[in-house]
Amino acid sequence: MSVFGGVFRQSSARLFSTVLLLSHAGTCARTRMHAVPKLRELDRWTEKRGVFGVYDNIGILGDFKAHPKDLIRGPVWLRGFSGNELQRLIRKKRMVGGRMLTEDKHSLDKRISFLYRRFNRYGKHR
Amino acid sequence: PRDFSPQFISSVSGESALPSNLRLPPNLIGVAPQKRASPSGSDLPVLRRCEADIPAHLAPAQTWLESLGSRDSEPLGVVDLHPDVFSVPLRLDILHAVEVWQRNFKRISHAKVKSRAEVSGGGRKPWNQKGSGRARHGSIRSPLWRGGGVAHGPRGPSSYYYMLPMKVRVQGLKIALTAKLAQDYLHIVDSLEIPTPDPHYLLDLVKHRQWGDSILIVDVGDEFPQNILKATEDMKTVNIIPAIGLNVHSMLKHESLVLTLEAVKFLEKKLLWHDVRYVPLYPFKLPYSDLP
Repeated sequence: MSVFGGVFRQSSARLFSTVLLLSHAGTCARTRMHAVPKLRELDRWTEKRGVFGVYDNIGILGDFKAHPKDLIRGPVWLRGFSGNELQRLIRKKRMVGGRMLTEDKHSLDKRISFLYRRFNRYGKHR
Repeated sequence: PRDFSPQFISSVSGESALPSNLRLPPNLIGVAPQKRASPSGSDLPVLRRCEADIPAHLAPAQTWLESLGSRDSEPLGVVDLHPDVFSVPLRLDILHAVEVWQRNFKRISHAKVKSRAEVSGGGRKPWNQKGSGRARHGSIRSPLWRGGGVAHGPRGPSSYYYMLPMKVRVQGLKIALTAKLAQDYLHIVDSLEIPTPDPHYLLDLVKHRQWGDSILIVDVGDEFPQNILKATEDMKTVNIIPAIGLNVHSMLKHESLVLTLEAVKFLEKKLLWHDVRYVPLYPFKLPYSDLP
């Protein structure tokens, strides 16, 4: 009997506290309006921004002679390819390794063996 | 929404509604352009019917056919548009997915930092393991040291390439066209002939007809009339592209879209084929006996 009475008294106190919180209007965070930084002035209509995305549907609208991945400008081993670091480095070694500079090739080989060991020998995912 | 005008409720009656520290975005559409009469109840003839068969339970969407010949010319007629391209249900999630895909699939980030193996130096143990009283270290280029390599930094040029299914991209185009038509931002034109190569003529026409701030003009084929090419050459917000270059991002960026009749025919043919095609056994770029 007394246990139940205590429980009810506790729950009613909590009820009152939530009611008080809900009725409190406004926020405690004070925003310093004079220190808000200005937005960067950007020209949204430069040549690049105005025609961005044109020819992205060249496959479906152009008889499938070209693929959107042919539009990507970048390193040869990354056009139309995505993968984790080890996959990217292996692909780079296969495609471009023959003409890399010696120190870069050495760092690439070291990184590949390090990542191979890390992914396949230690940790939960192997 | 096009009929938006800022309405602010002030607690003190009788004062002006706008607060003093209000900052309005420059592209806010304050003045709603006058709505044009709907073409369904007009006397002008239907100048173009859809080539493809329309399902029996759907009716073609209709718009005015206009002309760029002179500033004050009236609409020439009414044009029928296929409902499966210009009246599809508006799936904003597909539109968002296609827009995000367009932004990201071309992205190659060149951010790269040197790891402890790549920073020069750092092969020798700086001091003995025991006896010097300092903390134990193996190289001066470990990530703990100032000037040392970064442990988990961005590694090498990486790409964000992925492809959405073909039908999703096609549906995105259809939804974008439907949205432009539904919001009165689509204009069909018989051809792109204009009398002068003067950019002011185009600007004047656009302003007079209340087409919007930015226009995307689409036509089929490699050849465009010289006048319109010269007029749009130096204009930033009026851009002309071939129909093969149509995409969701450009349609969303430019406020209104101007299509020629050939462009409408081309788009309908290309976009409707995906509703009736078979699953590809091999990529479409390889020859099929029944595809042209």
